[in-house]
Amino acid sequence: MIRTLRLKYLLTYLWIFSISLAGLAQEIPTDPAIIKEGESLFKANCQTCHRVHQKLVGPALADVYNRAPSIDWIKAFIRNSAAVIASGDEYAVKLYNEYNKTQMTAFTGLKDDQIMAILAYIKDETIKGPPQAQPQPGPAGQQVTTGVPESYLNVILIGLVVILVLLVIILGFLISALKRLIDQKPLSEEDRELVHSTVTLSTVVRSKGFLFIVVFFATTLAVKAVINGLYSIGIQKGYAPKQPIAFSHKLHAGAYEIDCKYCHTGVLKGKSATIPSINICMNCHSQVKTESPQIQKLWAAADWQPETKTYGPNQQPIEWVRIHNLPDLAYFNHAQHVVVGGIECQTCHGPVEEMEVVQQYSLLTMGWCIDCHRKTDVNAKGNAYYDKLVELHSKQSKQPMKVEDIGGLECAKCHY
Amino acid sequence: MTSVLNKKLAALTVLALASCKAGGDYQGMEYAPNMYHSVAYEPYTQITDKDAGRWVTSIEYEDGHAEYYNSNNLNPHKMNMRMPPPHTVSRNYMPYRLPADSLEVAAKKVSPLKGDEKAILAEGKVLYEIYCDHCHGAKGEGDGKVATGVTIDGVERGFYAGVANLKGDAYKNITEGHIFHVITMGKGLMMPHGSQISPEDRWKIARYVKSLQQ
Repeated sequence: MIRTLRLKYLLTYLWIFSISLAGLAQEIPTDPAIIKEGESLFKANCQTCHRVHQKLVGPALADVYNRAPSIDWIKAFIRNSAAVIASGDEYAVKLYNEYNKTQMTAFTGLKDDQIMAILAYIKDETIKGPPQAQPQPGPAGQQVTTGVPESYLNVILIGLVVILVLLVIILGFLISALKRLIDQKPLSEEDRELVHSTVTLSTVVRSKGFLFIVVFFATTLAVKAVINGLYSIGIQKGYAPKQPIAFSHKLHAGAYEIDCKYCHTGVLKGKSATIPSINICMNCHSQVKTESPQIQKLWAAADWQPETKTYGPNQQPIEWVRIHNLPDLAYFNHAQHVVVGGIECQTCHGPVEEMEVVQQYSLLTMGWCIDCHRKTDVNAKGNAYYDKLVELHSKQSKQPMKVEDIGGLECAKCHY
Repeated sequence: MTSVLNKKLAALTVLALASCKAGGDYQGMEYAPNMYHSVAYEPYTQITDKDAGRWVTSIEYEDGHAEYYNSNNLNPHKMNMRMPPPHTVSRNYMPYRLPADSLEVAAKKVSPLKGDEKAILAEGKVLYEIYCDHCHGAKGEGDGKVATGVTIDGVERGFYAGVANLKGDAYKNITEGHIFHVITMGKGLMMPHGSQISPEDRWKIARYVKSLQQ
């Protein structure tokens, strides 16, 4: 009797205790379905600034349910962190100051059980522990190269040639030594002729036919070199100067797929595609790869003050080296070609998104311009400006309207 | 004797012509260099060496500089380009006067764009793909390559943390005025993009972002 009574007391006590516990610290659900829901909520709302195991814009969230003052506090902070900070809450103010006074976005729309689901996901991830270590990135600003560098290849090649020459000399010595050895023995007439042939290397070299062949090939090569040389005058194709900051188009335009026009903003508006001003670099590099010496050059040029996030007064222009130099006598307009003509940047500039160091890809000679103006159809579709021209052209010709048909070869279009 | 000299001369010519080709830091040999080197100030070319191109100089310039010299002595850093004077605006340009911290006021601004909604959205999409999608992602989910990071040759490269998921709860109900203001002035970790994108284009992007969020 007493025993059962005790058990009853004990059970009631436990029941009351568990209820009060739930009231104090709400139980974080462990149901896999809720964790899954929390994961998608976390990815949609939190992941931009938080990771579970990594400090990003905001703190790493592992163990946050034990760290923060209470679950209710977390809910209040998520819904309106500004209000919690303004109320003078000690923990909130400390956080705010620790993270450079970055205000967390207010997620007013998140419901109680949604926040609990997110916490469930965080708890699940916390228990799982951080993921396996990733491969370490190479030294700052350097590409990891595999294979033999080009300079070594040259050294190897020269070494091989030297070895070959040595072999030829050794063989020559061997032959003459063997001849002397054979001469000491009695030989038949046939064998003697074979050993002391009248046609030796020196007779071949001194023959007229050989001389003619050598002179012929040498002159042909020289003439070819002269013609090539003459044709390369005034052509800067292949020019790839070293720039003051080792900016990689391969990384930015290639790997990260940043549009050319994001930085070269003038290309849609005017004659020049424009070299981006430093503030465009700083759109990302105020916080990306800030420790790299190349980025430090950028910061110095912009006189960037990371504490106040402003540009200082001691700015220095970056002296980028111009690659494409059109002579002063020719006019070229980027907007006309890119906006009206609808031509891709790569048509003239080549695969810049694959270039570590940018080089001039096209000839940029007049012949090159004219060739394209002869071959290219006018991008007249949906452009009312060309309607009448297309109409007139179609009366005269059945061919599509090329650029040359609307004055693309007129001297004064480009030279004035 | 003369034939030997001739041969040497020919060999030298061949060598000299072979080195005309441009490559690396060498710009190649110019035909009529006076035509490549502008007398007028060239915005994207600056040659500060007063003796550059002395060998083709035929004009006597007042300060004795040679043909290629192209710098404006009156400008800071002798640059040929110059910042616009402070407190001036170009013609037909309406400055945006709201300061960066006036997001609440800006959010009430109504887009001035009127007319063909389809055309506005089509142009907005093109502009969004130029200026926004490498961070915010093609669908606005904050998953562009810059935001997620890339791996090249097994090496993980850096990424830009804190890119907003435009479809997230916090941004679902923002107005076009809000988006316009954030593009112009920046917010949180996003830097201002006002210098890159014209006001009209910013409104088009804002309209397109709203269509993405639906």
